Amino acid sequence: MIELRELDKFIESRFQRIFILKGINLTINEGEFVTLMGPSGAGKSTLLNILGLLDDDYKGEYLIDGRPIHRMKERERSSLHKSEFGYIFQAYHLIDELTVFENIETPLLYRKVPSSERKSIIANLLDRFNMVAKKDLFPSQLSGGQQQLVGIARAIAGKPKVLLADEPTGNLHSAQAQEIMEVFQELHREGATIIQATHARSNADYGTRLINLVDGKVTTDETIQHA
Amino acid sequence: MWKNYLKISFRNLKKRKLYTAINLLGLTVALVSFILISLYIHHEWSYDRMYTGSERIYRFTQLFADSQEREMVSSTPSSLPPTVMEEFDEAEAATLLFDLSIFQSVVIEYQGEQQEEKKFAYADENFFDVFDFEVLVGNPQTFLSEPRQMVLTKSTARRYFGSEFAAEGKTLKVETSEYLITGVMEDFPSNSHIDFDFIVSFKSHRHGREPEWSPSNYYTYVKVKEGTNMEAFESKLATMSEKYLGKEMREYGIETGFFLQPVIDIHLGDQSLNNIKPTTDIKYLYIFAVVALLLIAIGVINYVNLATAEATERNKEVGLRKVLGAMRGQLFGQFVSESMILTFASLLFSLLAIYVLAPQFSNFVGFEVGAQNLLSPISILGMIGLVVLVGLLAGIYPSLILSGMEPIKALGNNIKLGGGAWVRKGLVVFQFFVSMGLLIATFVVESQLSFMREVNLGYNQEQLISINYPYSLRDKAGTLVEEMKRSGSAISGAQAANSPIFIQAGYSIMSGGDNPEDFSITGYSVDKDIVQTLDLELLAGEDFSDADPTRQQAQERESIHPVLFNENAIRRMGWDPEEAIGKTVNLGFGMGRVKGVVKDFYFNSLHYSVGPLVIFNDPNNSNVLLLRLPGGNPAPHLAKLEEIWKETAPGRPFNYEFVDSAYGQMYNAEQRISQVFGLFSGIAIFIACMGLFGLVSYVALRRTREISIRKVLGATQINVIQVLSADFFKLLLVSSVMAIGFGMWFASSWLQDFANRTQIGALPYVISILVVLALATITISYRAWKVFKLNPAKTLKTE
Repeated sequence: MIELRELDKFIESRFQRIFILKGINLTINEGEFVTLMGPSGAGKSTLLNILGLLDDDYKGEYLIDGRPIHRMKERERSSLHKSEFGYIFQAYHLIDELTVFENIETPLLYRKVPSSERKSIIANLLDRFNMVAKKDLFPSQLSGGQQQLVGIARAIAGKPKVLLADEPTGNLHSAQAQEIMEVFQELHREGATIIQATHARSNADYGTRLINLVDGKVTTDETIQHA
Repeated sequence: MWKNYLKISFRNLKKRKLYTAINLLGLTVALVSFILISLYIHHEWSYDRMYTGSERIYRFTQLFADSQEREMVSSTPSSLPPTVMEEFDEAEAATLLFDLSIFQSVVIEYQGEQQEEKKFAYADENFFDVFDFEVLVGNPQTFLSEPRQMVLTKSTARRYFGSEFAAEGKTLKVETSEYLITGVMEDFPSNSHIDFDFIVSFKSHRHGREPEWSPSNYYTYVKVKEGTNMEAFESKLATMSEKYLGKEMREYGIETGFFLQPVIDIHLGDQSLNNIKPTTDIKYLYIFAVVALLLIAIGVINYVNLATAEATERNKEVGLRKVLGAMRGQLFGQFVSESMILTFASLLFSLLAIYVLAPQFSNFVGFEVGAQNLLSPISILGMIGLVVLVGLLAGIYPSLILSGMEPIKALGNNIKLGGGAWVRKGLVVFQFFVSMGLLIATFVVESQLSFMREVNLGYNQEQLISINYPYSLRDKAGTLVEEMKRSGSAISGAQAANSPIFIQAGYSIMSGGDNPEDFSITGYSVDKDIVQTLDLELLAGEDFSDADPTRQQAQERESIHPVLFNENAIRRMGWDPEEAIGKTVNLGFGMGRVKGVVKDFYFNSLHYSVGPLVIFNDPNNSNVLLLRLPGGNPAPHLAKLEEIWKETAPGRPFNYEFVDSAYGQMYNAEQRISQVFGLFSGIAIFIACMGLFGLVSYVALRRTREISIRKVLGATQINVIQVLSADFFKLLLVSSVMAIGFGMWFASSWLQDFANRTQIGALPYVISILVVLALATITISYRAWKVFKLNPAKTLKTE
């Protein structure tokens, strides 16, 4: 469903182009759980941002279901962005002024989901992540792992086809990280397409495919076999 | 969605208390000023629009022109209303109104008690056909149709009889005649150009029974039929004035004619026409409107500045919302809703403040301010419009900046919001420019006022009082002055036609004497003691003496009038004061001989320069006693003078006026503009400084770490203030330069209205700018001091 062809991203400096991504060719099919790995500065986050339509400053082609993104109008792109993608961040990025409930509700508001439907979606999500009792708390009152669970709930509330996660466990200790990854695995089993960027090799084991990025280029692309 | 916007906005406002408080206070103060000024402007604008068919009601004006001058007056002859009704089909109704107070006040007696009344008029029986004022008691068709009938306003009826329903059928004695009260009307609205306490039937006046084409003492109003062609109507008026007045007036060398002035234009119209109530110069309404808009602008700018400064804090939230799928319009809605909430809350606070301040404000503007003018549908609509407009104005720019941020940049940690910095700087410059500009304007007006108060007028106003006396006392006035002087409570005294602050009788110097040319001159009818009483300086010749004939005696004997001239008149005739003595001058009504020359003194408002003046020994044409009290406490002397007055003029109230305070009142318009500028420049500075405080707070917050490091490295408090204030002072400097430019323009154009003007030195500019700079420094220093007090160990650890 996602296809990148000869995708470059660079910064124009005075004497030369500094490439952040160079010649990326990548096809991701529905239902895959892809892990992007690589050292800091390899271009993982940049690639995620481009995939998630947050960054349109690149050369090359990007197609979703065969439709070229780079030729779309702003409006079309932003509606695609709303319907296709959900985001999870390393630093959770919950809105401090909103309660757990309202944080999860926000994407639904922007998608103009009717109130009663919103309530049932959020109720299900809270139930699923065992956070019913915490729904009126503010982010600062939660632990990191709990905050990330809210982040995930918020990301999947809008029923996106693809979940993008940038270092989702980077700020968590290992027990919490494991819990989060298990949630990812479960979502994947239910049919979600997930693309995560991570440092940790252990996280890749939950996925189905591992792509290594070094200096903006894909070095390896392998399928992970599960025992 | 909106519910969500509102909820989030509330939480944000609650979280940022300082930010919210500054914005609320700034907007509230700005809105209070704006609403009050708007009420005032609306009130002035609404004058005379409340009568049915007010756009069809006109007041007649009459032109008098000779070879030198054209004068338009708003009073007309008593024959005009009946003639208009008889000869013109266009006229639906016409009425005559005679304001007696321009000549004298009246004494009204009820049950043996006497009251002096000033708001007293005659009106004919058609008055209520033209002006549909509300009648409470009596039949407006008949209650002014017979002689000796009287209509009172409600509050006058209450004053005399306790209730508006107790007055009918009672009688009041006006001077020597009894009047029967036949009706009571509602008080005249504050926005009507007509305002009286008593209206008596014009039939009680000689001219009411036998109308004449002279004198022109009466206001005439006509209500024309709908669809009247006004141009055609006015041209017919020319025919009429020719028919009745043309020949006679031409004999005097005067051309005359009648014109129409819409009644709705009276209050803000031609300032030179005489009117029942003081009018308003529309120029000042424009100035007030601009000031109101500037204050709102300053309040809005505060919001814009703080909101964009704060944007740095909120970029994370905005970026996130975008990632979560917010469209730009949705973010926009959220931020605008925040500014709307603030504006709306400010409006509520302003209404509360206005409610509390209503008595003071009513006092200041001279009409009642309260729920009735605030809560009318139009003003409610206006206020909602204002909230939306101000909310949008304040919200739009910050919303655009915030909603336009790119999400990945916004989510990153180290971004600085470059955009908006220039706009923000420009807005700060504007705020302080306005503050300083208003302050400079205040100083300019104030220094002209103090110049006018302190200028040497050429005569001595100290302890000088004037007392108007009625025609009936004319024969006794001379002995009255002598008695008062004998009592020791008046050092000197004289009879005069006017108080010296405003002498206005027009005369002409004609050829036929030693003087080479004709010119217009002001004449001052006084008795022989005027030079001594006013402390006029005699440049040449002699003062009047007892041996000099009065004007009346000279006329009877057809002898030469000894007269005094001011220096200006003598120069006009081409002479030096010394050489003028003994020359003869044709005064028009007879020949005069120059007996003395007095140094020029100001006998009109300082808006005008001193013109030529001739002084007649003419006590018969005098209306005023001028008396100089001995120094010290005036009260015992006034009591003594009152005793003497009572013996000579029993029943006449002893109404004196200090000449210097009457002189001060001539500049009421300037006084008011000075107060308004002073008040609003204060408000502008206040709001602007609060905005500055908010901005500095954000800068300080952003630079807390830097300041802490500086402190660790040994920076003193002064160093920190310098660091924080350097940028702002550059902006204030730009404001100062602009304000100086504005001030110079204002000083030169405003002072244009004064023939005698003060020199504006550098002082008003320097003081204004220093005051504003000092306040800004205090604001910044306070904030810097707070940051300085923070413990660097703590602030650095959190980074």
